[in-house]
Amino acid sequence: MLMALLQADANMTMLSAGVVDSSITPRRVLSAFATQVRVINALILRETKTRYGNYKIGFLWALIEPLVGVSVFVAIFANLRNDSPSGMPLVPFMLVGFVCYALFRDPWGAMQGAISNSRNLLTFPQVTTFDVIMARGLLEILVTFFVLGFLLYMAHLTGFEVRVERPLGVLMACGLLCVLGLGLGFLFASLEPLVPSVKQLATQVMSRPLYFASGLFFTVDTLPAAIREYLLYNPVLHMIELVRGEFFYEFETSYGSWTYASAWAFTTLAVGFLMHQAVHKRAIVKK
Amino acid sequence: MISLRNVNKKYRTQAGYRVVLDNVSLDFPVGKSVGILGLNGAGKSTLIRIIGDAEPPDSGTVHCDQRVSWPLGYSGGFQGNLTARENARFVARIYGESTRYVEEFTQEFSELGEYFDEPIKSYSAGMQGRFAFSVSLACNFEYYLVDEALETGDARYREKFRMAFEERRANASVILVSHNEQTIRRNCDMAAILHEGSLVLYEDLKEALFEYNILQNQPR
Repeated sequence: MLMALLQADANMTMLSAGVVDSSITPRRVLSAFATQVRVINALILRETKTRYGNYKIGFLWALIEPLVGVSVFVAIFANLRNDSPSGMPLVPFMLVGFVCYALFRDPWGAMQGAISNSRNLLTFPQVTTFDVIMARGLLEILVTFFVLGFLLYMAHLTGFEVRVERPLGVLMACGLLCVLGLGLGFLFASLEPLVPSVKQLATQVMSRPLYFASGLFFTVDTLPAAIREYLLYNPVLHMIELVRGEFFYEFETSYGSWTYASAWAFTTLAVGFLMHQAVHKRAIVKK
Repeated sequence: MISLRNVNKKYRTQAGYRVVLDNVSLDFPVGKSVGILGLNGAGKSTLIRIIGDAEPPDSGTVHCDQRVSWPLGYSGGFQGNLTARENARFVARIYGESTRYVEEFTQEFSELGEYFDEPIKSYSAGMQGRFAFSVSLACNFEYYLVDEALETGDARYREKFRMAFEERRANASVILVSHNEQTIRRNCDMAAILHEGSLVLYEDLKEALFEYNILQNQPR
């Protein structure tokens, strides 16, 4: 025991001699940034393998899911009433609604289990909880954009009229959907290891009503005024309206608000980041 | 050099908090391989995960100015449903190494044969250990953090690893966690004992093993 004490003492003197430099220099910031890009890139490639690589029809699933939704509603609407909603061609109208909704829902859905499902990856020191969450969200966004482009091109090839009025505006509105999805993703991914039931909250309580209340298959101006008032609290509805307003020559939205949608998107992202910052250390340790 | 400063770590258990590291400060001398001894549940694995930055300490800092491996164990860090090849490429990417070199070195050194393209969840513990070691050797670290895994594999393969480490001794050291005295004696220059939250380094390996024997035989 005495030996141990002496030894500890010797270590203390050794400690004070060694000076550790931990100042932040531009070079260190750059190299940290380079590492982060490298890690997220590696994670995305790996996630692609796990998600799609094991199934030969991998990417097909990403196409089939929105196609099913679109076909069902196209079939219903085509028989129900002959005019397309607010003058827009029916198929592109539905495609834009369903696929753009996926820009918001899919990152959120894929990100929420990120920490608990990639716990063994966190063994690598340069892989952080931020990286594993972000990589999943980015992969979903990339895939969904690919699906959007592919399906619109297919629609064009099969003779539907696809003309984009303001491509940059479409990108901006889609960007808001992504930001909102990423924000919710970070929020739920941070909470999920500590409170596993948030997953049920996401899929059962929030996701389903949003599917029907976000204008996937309707525009705001076709709603009865009493319902419209309440549904307009939903930021996703605003974003889908904005996408359609930018996309179609035939349609200008008089309800979708850039301010309201952006406020929601960026506030949610900030809350998500803050929540991650607050709990990520506890979330790693929690088994 | 790896240095720990005032590192604290405790876990919440049913019976209240359990302190694993109690204000530990220690410098691991440059170029020396250090064994870490400790009774079961003393927190050796937690310690090596903290050194390797796989887990954050409650307070205190870990500094290191060399390339340190991730904590090498049976399977830590690898995804079971991906193949060894895919996992090797992932490691190469996050460490910024050439994916081709790491892939080829690992394939040859691990001697996994056709299993190299099978998902690693189908591997035995020994094969997983072999894979983990081969990938880490491909990355040329200056410090290897090893968590009890040297005992894996058959005797011939163990010898192969020992030789590989021996070759790298000139510019690489090992921090090795084990409760097996033999392993420590064969691979380390000195040893530290982790007991009840304090970590004490002994420059003399024999002395450390002697103290550890006393500790082991203490009635608990």
